[in-house]
Amino acid sequence: MIITSIRRTSRQNLSKVLTTMLVPSRYTIERWSYTLQRVSGVVVMLYFVAHVIETGYVVGGPGVWYVPPYEVAQRSWETVKASLKDPVFDVGLGIIGLLVTFHTINGVRLTLTHFGYTLKRPHRPEFPYEVRSFTNFQRGLFWLSISFAVFSMIYALDTLLGVFRA
Amino acid sequence: MRNEIILKVYRFDPTSGKPPTYKRYSVPITERETVLDALLYVKEHQDATLSLRFSCRMAVCGSCGMLIDGLPRLACYTQISELDTDEIEVRPMSNYPIVRDLVVDMSGFFEKHRSVMPWLIRRDVREQNQPTKQYLQSDEQLLEYLQFSYCIKCGLCYAACPVVTAMDEFLGPQALAQLYRYIRDSRDEGATERLKSAGEFNGVWRCHFAGSCSQVCPKGVDPALAIQLLRRRTLFMK
Amino acid sequence: MRERTLMIMHYLTGLGILVSGTIHVYVVFLTVPANLTAWESTLSFDGFQFAILPVYRNLALALSLEILLICTTYHGLNGLRIILYELFQGRSARTYVKYALFAIGALLLIYGTRTIIIAHSIGGP
Ligand code: SF4
Ligand code: FES
Repeated sequence: MIITSIRRTSRQNLSKVLTTMLVPSRYTIERWSYTLQRVSGVVVMLYFVAHVIETGYVVGGPGVWYVPPYEVAQRSWETVKASLKDPVFDVGLGIIGLLVTFHTINGVRLTLTHFGYTLKRPHRPEFPYEVRSFTNFQRGLFWLSISFAVFSMIYALDTLLGVFRA
Repeated sequence: MRNEIILKVYRFDPTSGKPPTYKRYSVPITERETVLDALLYVKEHQDATLSLRFSCRMAVCGSCGMLIDGLPRLACYTQISELDTDEIEVRPMSNYPIVRDLVVDMSGFFEKHRSVMPWLIRRDVREQNQPTKQYLQSDEQLLEYLQFSYCIKCGLCYAACPVVTAMDEFLGPQALAQLYRYIRDSRDEGATERLKSAGEFNGVWRCHFAGSCSQVCPKGVDPALAIQLLRRRTLFMK
Repeated sequence: MRERTLMIMHYLTGLGILVSGTIHVYVVFLTVPANLTAWESTLSFDGFQFAILPVYRNLALALSLEILLICTTYHGLNGLRIILYELFQGRSARTYVKYALFAIGALLLIYGTRTIIIAHSIGGP
């Protein structure tokens, strides 16, 4: 149903909308999950585009639309590999590891909760009211995603830079 | 126990052409006083031009919603002692056009509520005109929707929802919770068309379970729960 | 397409990424011969079972990469659509958003699929 006659709330400006989206202070962790899921999703999507472009050099780059000789592909990949050898990219990959892991596990949590699983059934409300959708299980999954994300970032940084090994 | 509190109140008169300002009032308080009591004290003794909307003073009519210390709450339902600050900031609810001071225009909110057809849809027209029987409901059938029918249309959930802030057309937590309430009512026969409208681009799929609506709801309605359960119904279309 | 279909596909592609992405990450884990560090071996072009080119040559792994590509493209761009619908409102804005994202998605899919097909068919040295 498209509501046509609603008087548009004086077109709120972008900065207000973005603040609401990105600064969930005073609200519960479900709201933080919403913000983090969005931010991580957008960043991972940017990485995905970069990754598709980057892996394109395995076969010789954007100009190659035929099967190239083995040596051409190898040379193209070695060049890109050399240019990717930079601690900045390594740290970036560590952060991507964090975001991907968070987005994945929190995504599983959201897929469950979005269809009512892991939430309690409706009941007869009695004071003091208990919020039936803020279950420990669902919140635990959020914290699980946070801890796995941090763990995978540590693991990634360790693998890439060896920072936690020395 | 404090016996005085500073109220920092948002003042705005659109007809004056001046930008909004905050005014501070110092109010003597006693134990168990609510924010509404303090605001009415200001109106009675200090500044009669302060505009606010209220009626029942007991969290039943749902007209005194405002942002108190940054969260949407009912002024009559919020104890000053529970806030535990010396200065309380009072603003009109977010996500609504401001009429004046603390009064907001809720017509869009009510229109969205109306648009989900918050009444029982029956196909048996003759029976409805000449009723011959009762519609009995078991306890289990009642519990399916009872919680959601506690809604007092105060609009706090609508003020807290981040999607409503961004998207004018989004139905909002209150309307979607009522949509689910009528789908689950065993006396209702309009589930198919209700589910169809819930599945539109401005309906149930725009909810991301940020849970802010349930956090601020003063009546334990838990709109977020209703919306997630509604989404399951919309998925299976029954 | 109807909003319901688009969003159901969002959850399904999410599950698709969960499966094919796990395979992808697991394959990256498997690429460690004794003489290389883990990361060097991940970026190795050829020479042992789970270096880059042999992974593409393996039909099953190449197919799972293609599934990952399709699912991520859809899931990511639909996620952006959800955000952009909130930022830019009105029927015409929604149409622009839809077509712009559709174009980006087509480019990503064509380019990525090209990589997979060509890498799958590159012969030995
Ligand atoms: S659902 Fe709760 S917060 Fe929302 S309008 Fe109803 S009573 Fe108010
Ligand atoms: S005055 Fe009626 S709800 Fe507060």
